[in-house]
Amino acid sequence: MDSWVIAMMLGASTLLGALGLWALLWGLKTGQFEDTKKFLDMTSFDGEEALHDAIAMEKKKKEIMKRKKKKADDGYRPPD
Amino acid sequence: MQKRRCDHCHLEYDEKVLIEDGGKYFCCKGCQGIYHLLRDEGLDNFYEKMGEHTIEPPKTLHDDINKFDLDGFVKKYIKEKGGFSSISLIIDGIHCAACIWLNEKVLHKTKGVVEVSINHTSNKAKILWDSDTIKLSEIIQIIRNIGYNAYPYDPSMQEEQANARRKDYYSRLLVGVFCTMNIMWIAIAQYGGYFTGMRTDIKNILNFAEFILATPALFYTGGVFFKGTYYGLKNKFVNMDLLVASGALSAYLFSIYVMFSGHGEVYFDSVAMIVTFVFAGKYLEVLTKKKAVDTLDSFSSSLPSEVTLVRESEKFLVGVEAVEVGDVIELRAGEKVVIDGVVISGEGSFDNSSLTGESVPVLLQNGDKILSGSICVDSVIRYTASHLYASSMLSKIVALLEDSMDKKPRIEQLANSISGYFSTAILVLAILTFAGWYFHTHSFEQALIISISVIVIACPCALGLATPVATLVGISRASKKGILFKEATFLESVAACSTVVLDKTGTITNGKPKVVDSTIRENFDKSILYSLVSLSSHPVSQGVKEFLKELKLKIVDLEKVKIVEAKGIKATYKGKQILAGNGNFMRENSVTCNDNSDFLSELHVAYDAVLVASFYLEDKPRIGAKGTISYLKNSGLRVIMLSGDNERVAKKIAEEVGIEEFEASLLPQDKAKYIEDIRSAGQRVVMVGDGINDTLALSCSEVAITLGSGTDVAVNVSDIVLMNDSFEGLKTVFEVSKNTFRIVKQNLAFSVLYNVITIPLAMSGHVIPLVAALSMSLSSLIVVGNSMRIK
Repeated sequence: MDSWVIAMMLGASTLLGALGLWALLWGLKTGQFEDTKKFLDMTSFDGEEALHDAIAMEKKKKEIMKRKKKKADDGYRPPD
Repeated sequence: MQKRRCDHCHLEYDEKVLIEDGGKYFCCKGCQGIYHLLRDEGLDNFYEKMGEHTIEPPKTLHDDINKFDLDGFVKKYIKEKGGFSSISLIIDGIHCAACIWLNEKVLHKTKGVVEVSINHTSNKAKILWDSDTIKLSEIIQIIRNIGYNAYPYDPSMQEEQANARRKDYYSRLLVGVFCTMNIMWIAIAQYGGYFTGMRTDIKNILNFAEFILATPALFYTGGVFFKGTYYGLKNKFVNMDLLVASGALSAYLFSIYVMFSGHGEVYFDSVAMIVTFVFAGKYLEVLTKKKAVDTLDSFSSSLPSEVTLVRESEKFLVGVEAVEVGDVIELRAGEKVVIDGVVISGEGSFDNSSLTGESVPVLLQNGDKILSGSICVDSVIRYTASHLYASSMLSKIVALLEDSMDKKPRIEQLANSISGYFSTAILVLAILTFAGWYFHTHSFEQALIISISVIVIACPCALGLATPVATLVGISRASKKGILFKEATFLESVAACSTVVLDKTGTITNGKPKVVDSTIRENFDKSILYSLVSLSSHPVSQGVKEFLKELKLKIVDLEKVKIVEAKGIKATYKGKQILAGNGNFMRENSVTCNDNSDFLSELHVAYDAVLVASFYLEDKPRIGAKGTISYLKNSGLRVIMLSGDNERVAKKIAEEVGIEEFEASLLPQDKAKYIEDIRSAGQRVVMVGDGINDTLALSCSEVAITLGSGTDVAVNVSDIVLMNDSFEGLKTVFEVSKNTFRIVKQNLAFSVLYNVITIPLAMSGHVIPLVAALSMSLSSLIVVGNSMRIK
């Protein structure tokens, strides 16, 4: 067997494994496994509505940020 | 009468008491208000989601909501996060997933709130809002309006730290395990190639793959060892971390050298294995700590957050933090005292068992001091606060516990000090070897290989395994006998202790008085008696009830039942009066009876003014207490009993189980101080206890043992739990510990001997890799085999 076959197989399998590991670590870091009860019980309430809410919240956040920025800009006076 | 559900909280009531409102029925104005509010907001599909669950009807709270906007409060709980304010709240009253949905939904609709996440498992919420648009008090008011209550907690203290640490360690462990598993696959090919021959190019590829995998294992997973080494050296202390770090690092560097030069064998597999295994042990330690913090949090959140205050004959609920010294507080039956004070009106019995361990409630009346942590058993009393919430007994205990969790003493000295000296010695030897060979042969390469092989062969395999494997076997043997060691090191710690301190109530004794003597003087219908004692939750009544239970009596209807605080019960049956109570109670009601003992609790019963029965109760020592204590004494341990009970009772129990040294009438702090005193006198102390009153003492001792039936907090601050709840388990603890400790010493002796023989061989340049690998595995096998002998 050529050595490059071994190298490729080792590389590919380790990379795939590492991807899986990365996904798991990402889940841990972002708290995907922290609320088991919600994960199980709230699935029945899952729906389009929750997505609308999430979008509305994002919008609200952006608006407030914009307003804050505007306020900060308006409030700026160059030194005399 | 027809029963009907309230349309908001779904609790059942008589139809008569419900408020009718357009075909809907409500149990109170609160439920009605929330129902309309939700309908107006278009959130009435909450009821659909709620299904068959019930919730609590809303409580009216009268505390000043503006306190949430005060500067001190803001500074303590509110944090700035990307231009927004953020707070962690505990939401009270959540019962089902629909409650979470409703809270999130309502907050989503609130102007200025930009992020809400409520954890269903812990009912803790994180809210992010714009403080220019809305105030925190308004947000909390919104939560209150829909029938829930929210109070803040400070997550930065214990919980967040423990959580972050656990997460970090878990990620590191995952990486370590992943790398080690994959390296082992490759290493098997390497081993095969070693014996049957392998092409150099393939070997190089395998070496490189191992290198790639060993690197994160050593530097990410093993990072804690480098950190430990750094802090150890900074404080001029050589620890086990140094040994692991230097061993793994030198094997790693040596392997890199081999990989590029092509001479010899790589040791990347050993690097990953050593780091991952030793790290797994560390991870378990972090895990137990996280659990302890969890219970402590739930313990402090189970404390009442409000008290009933009386001002100018008006009553209202006030948050505990707002109570000032001199305020008048009203306490009802079943309520827990959270603020210390002095009784001003009424009298009632108080269950002090969580503070003193005393099983019998005490009667407090005008002028008596009330301590927080006790529970009002019967009647309503009023008292003036003598301390603020923060300086009251219960808060002090919680605060002390939080402190002590970080200060828990650990003895790992034998293994640590030996391995400390050992690693220093090896490092010195390796440097000397390098210098010797360099001057002798003038070859840098040869000197480096030989000096590194000294470290590799002495690599902490046998020494590192000596303690953990033996303790692991010890722990699993103990767990089969119903004893839970929270950490392996406590096996050693117990064996090194010289004094055993035992709590009395609930540890040596059962904590529940039992009838030891009874006279039922006339042919009397015992079912009346049984029905009477069933009415009271007083331990003495309960003891008599247990005693009568065996007779399988039925409950009869008694009339005009009156419970007289801490004294007895009155009732009538078929027009005749029945009295049950202590001697004083009988005499007060002009029934003659004689007390016959100082240390027995008693219950006399009179029917139609004639004494018909007397019961004498005693809190009996647990089964096997005497035998276990004599075993402890025979193995050369000093045994001391501490009790919150009075001197007479303590003395009697001490005599009964054969303890000469005892202290009585101790408060929780006194017990802790007692333990600190004997520890500062050079003794190593094992404390055995069960209640909240013992937790401080438990956390002050070297090793804390709790019986499985103990309170949650006690179980969590303790290091060893006797799950089967038998006092004889204590004997097993000492047996297993001593056994394990003996094996650990043998293992250490063997691995030292092994190193004494192999290191000189390595230093003289006689060790080829095959011999090194074989002897390393063999030494580990011997250590493991020896450890299996622990019974």
